[in-house]
Amino acid sequence: MFLPIWKKLKYMLLILVLSKEASVLKAAQISSESDKDWINQAIRFWTFTDPSIQIIALGAILIGINCGLMGGYVVSRRLSMFGDTLSHAVLPGIAVGFMFSQSKNEAVLMIGATLSGFLGVGIISLLKRHTKMKEDSAMGLVLSGFYALGICLITYLQQSPNGGASGLESYLFGSLVGLSDRDLVPLCFCLSLIIICFILLNKELLLSGFDPSFARSVGLPVDILQFCIWILMAFCIVSSLQVIGVVLVSALLIIPAATAGLLTYRMSQILVYSGILGALSGIVGCFLSFMGERLPAGPVIVLCSTLLFLAVLFFSPARGILPSWFRTRRRGQRIRFENTLKACYQVLESRSFSSQSFPQTALAQRRGKSDAEIEKEIGVLIREGYATRQEFPTEQKSELPSETMVSLTPSGWEIASRMIRNHRLWELYLTKEASYAPDHVHDDAEKIEHIIGEKTVRQIERILDNPQRDPHGKPIPSQDDIDRGWLSPPLVADK
Amino acid sequence: MRVALPKPLEIHDLTVAYQQKPVLYGIDLEVEPGSLVGIIGPNGAGKSTLIKAIMGIMKSVDGYVKVFGDSSRKALTRVGYVPQRESVDWDFPVTAMDVVLMGRFGHIGWFKRISKRDRSFASECLEQMNMLPYANRQIGNLSGGQQQRVFLARALAQQSDLYLMDEPFEGVDAITEKAIVDLLKNLRNQGKTLMVVHHDLSTAKDYFDHLALLNLRLVAYGKTEDVFTHDLLQKTYGGKLTVLSEVGSRKLNEKQPTQEAL
Amino acid sequence: MLDFAEALLDPWSTREQVIWNLQIVFMGMMVSLSCGLVGCFVVVRRMALLGDAVSHGVLPGIVTAYLITDSLSIGPVWIGACLAGLGCGASIEWLRTKTPLREDAAMGLTFTSFFALGIVLLSLEAGATHLDPACFLYGEIGLTPLSPKLELWGLPSGNQALWNMGVVCLTTMISVIVFYRFLLVTSFDCSLARSLGMPVIWIQYGLMLLLALVVVASFESVGVILVLAMMILPPVSSAFLFHRLPSILMCCLPLSIFYSVAGLQLAYSMNFPISASMALAGIVIFLPCCLLGPNGGVLTNSKKLKTRKSSRDLSAN
Repeated sequence: MFLPIWKKLKYMLLILVLSKEASVLKAAQISSESDKDWINQAIRFWTFTDPSIQIIALGAILIGINCGLMGGYVVSRRLSMFGDTLSHAVLPGIAVGFMFSQSKNEAVLMIGATLSGFLGVGIISLLKRHTKMKEDSAMGLVLSGFYALGICLITYLQQSPNGGASGLESYLFGSLVGLSDRDLVPLCFCLSLIIICFILLNKELLLSGFDPSFARSVGLPVDILQFCIWILMAFCIVSSLQVIGVVLVSALLIIPAATAGLLTYRMSQILVYSGILGALSGIVGCFLSFMGERLPAGPVIVLCSTLLFLAVLFFSPARGILPSWFRTRRRGQRIRFENTLKACYQVLESRSFSSQSFPQTALAQRRGKSDAEIEKEIGVLIREGYATRQEFPTEQKSELPSETMVSLTPSGWEIASRMIRNHRLWELYLTKEASYAPDHVHDDAEKIEHIIGEKTVRQIERILDNPQRDPHGKPIPSQDDIDRGWLSPPLVADK
Repeated sequence: MRVALPKPLEIHDLTVAYQQKPVLYGIDLEVEPGSLVGIIGPNGAGKSTLIKAIMGIMKSVDGYVKVFGDSSRKALTRVGYVPQRESVDWDFPVTAMDVVLMGRFGHIGWFKRISKRDRSFASECLEQMNMLPYANRQIGNLSGGQQQRVFLARALAQQSDLYLMDEPFEGVDAITEKAIVDLLKNLRNQGKTLMVVHHDLSTAKDYFDHLALLNLRLVAYGKTEDVFTHDLLQKTYGGKLTVLSEVGSRKLNEKQPTQEAL
Repeated sequence: MLDFAEALLDPWSTREQVIWNLQIVFMGMMVSLSCGLVGCFVVVRRMALLGDAVSHGVLPGIVTAYLITDSLSIGPVWIGACLAGLGCGASIEWLRTKTPLREDAAMGLTFTSFFALGIVLLSLEAGATHLDPACFLYGEIGLTPLSPKLELWGLPSGNQALWNMGVVCLTTMISVIVFYRFLLVTSFDCSLARSLGMPVIWIQYGLMLLLALVVVASFESVGVILVLAMMILPPVSSAFLFHRLPSILMCCLPLSIFYSVAGLQLAYSMNFPISASMALAGIVIFLPCCLLGPNGGVLTNSKKLKTRKSSRDLSAN
């Protein structure tokens, strides 16, 4: 979002023009199809030729984008339950708006709903500031209290002469039926408002959400920014009410943004992904609700967004649960062959590096494993190209017909010596800098040697002043030793 | 034949993490009975975390804690815990007497009535901390020092053998501070063991007979006169073990690959 | 004035009306009492929003049990609700610990998804049932007297709905009395609870189970959303009057009677749903408590601050 100002203005203009285009679409009845053929219905939906379908699809997409974008800041500023409270608190406002306008005039209803929402928010703030009531109790009180008032007023209005056809109860769960092009206007207006605010106030919103005290100290009007977020939330909720309904609109403020949060850390990307996910939930939910006549749109759209969340949670390649599980398994395998290579080094060291190869049985002894297990481990090493194996006929006096000799390839040597270096260096660091006793350091080093990075190794070498030996007196391989690919006699003599 | 009594506190290789960062790394500690131990170290060193890990409030990633030779939950019945003042909900509808009586619940038994004896014992504990006149005051209506004294009275009422206190001297007036020191020394003389998180180096030397120097690692533990040296204090307060903290953090991440800070 | 008195007495004019409305009032009282008792601990443990989440989250359980057994008898419905409620709580906990999601997002995501699932299940089968989704939202306590009549040993003894609610109410009261100490200590100081050997997690689950039970028993009368009102209003109102938890708990009884009677009157005169009227009655009581209550009321606080300042000045001199 770090675009130059003129580019931002160009995009804003584009959005405003598009919103106007959308509002030109004519309203139409969703004709009752006696044709129950699923495929035909589906085709009818996805070709978007029917104007009524165009409207409901566009409505669902707009709601998805609005709530998704808004949700980016709702989730990151921990306003999720606040959104829920706000969405219940608007109910009396809708009823009062209807009473004033005696019809379903969108503007009046929206204004009434927004004011009602603000009244609720104001009451929560007052209760928190002037009484001992905790925030969650205040929110629960306003949520259920305003809701009760709203239910009362709506029931009262339903009994009044022109209230019966008000369809106010559809605001509870939402419905796509009867969506007209006039209903799209507040959605487009809300979208433009959200995009404009987010683009203009991008840095400010980010800072005030992340670190309010610092933001205040540099002069940012944190409370006003919070108020702006509340206003946008209220508009977003109110414009989406008709399709999603009071009870579930907060879900759309949370779920797409939460899903986006699983995919990335950067706020600009979260907003974009969240908008896309919201739109996707909207259109798919809309389609499913359209196909199943009895299904109200709100819950279906929410369930679609939940399914998307679960899909990303389990399958996202970067941080999904299943890919992580596979990565952990592979890491376990890597650790196993790294340990094998380390043992190879130790066997070679115990023989003072006199020869490049060593018997497989010596390795079995070192690792404390059976011959069969070692056979498998060596097999892995050979397969990865870290070691080679040869059969040598033994002396006459030996019982075995031949002995298997193993030797490391240069890449195998590199890993082996790196592990040993990491291990011994870490042991030295723990004893010298972290007050560990020398007999306590081995277990920790066993874990750390596999995950310590080259940068940290350099740091430790600097701190310890390029050490030569570990706490037990064993030599620490230097970078030269590792690069050389094999120990040459001068190295052996030094140690 | 003398059987060795289990030590009041035995910690081995304790590692505790908070949000994927190690706060305590491989702590080994053994405390003898009848010690008045001060736990000191810089901010964020893990002092409160150590106490909470002993109480089981924070889960350890590695290592174990044994209280009187027992690492199960049952062992905690011999431990009295005085929490940090900021972790208490002062608006909770209880009076000072209610709080002290709570300390007696372990002795009363879960479903038995509160007897007159318990009430009078609770009153005595309040009296010992000079809080009897405030017995029926709601705890939010007390001053900082008074609140601290109520919790100490509760600890007294528990009649524990091991006391863990988290910054009991924080934000109290001079009179309360003296009262607390006297109480601690009294309890120690009765053979109880006390572990006290303390933030003030200048008074640490006078208040405690043993000191544990903590900074992610246990830098030193022993008698105050042996441990309160310039070198060891330098090591404790000198700076964070950043490499240890980073590498330890990576080690913790390896265990739970899906948990990452947002 | 006469009109007002007339309006008050209107529901009680004929004998049939008295019997009818008494049942409703009694039902409302038991619902408020049960919700209020559980609510005291929900509020004091700062679980109000979790309570909101659980009361929404039980919906798929209730609906599934209803669809399977084709009745709203309390046994299977309670089991379904408990499973769903505990599932909701467990999901929130899992999301909070195993994913980057924070607590509020985990709560919001879970309970709305569960609720949406419940509504969808209900809508799919709505044609075959008499259940109206709106019924879950604000209940229909006015239909209490229509519940099947019971007869014990040949004597007429109320109806099924009242008995169900009565059992739940009694269970709640007994649980609160028997486990009072556990609930008190685990709500106030978990570390002391651990010190005393109390099984902290079991108590939390027990409370959530009780919550699920109360929600299930009440949803037919007041709907799942107003259950929250009935849970929160009594404790927050009486907290301004008393400073000890036992008194706050006991205050739930007179409050529940008031909510029920006043709610009925309001509903009759204004034609509001009875459940929502009960909540409105609750708010009507809450306001004076909040403003004038001796224990931290807004207006009494400012007076207390003045007297405390002046006494401090005196003692300083």
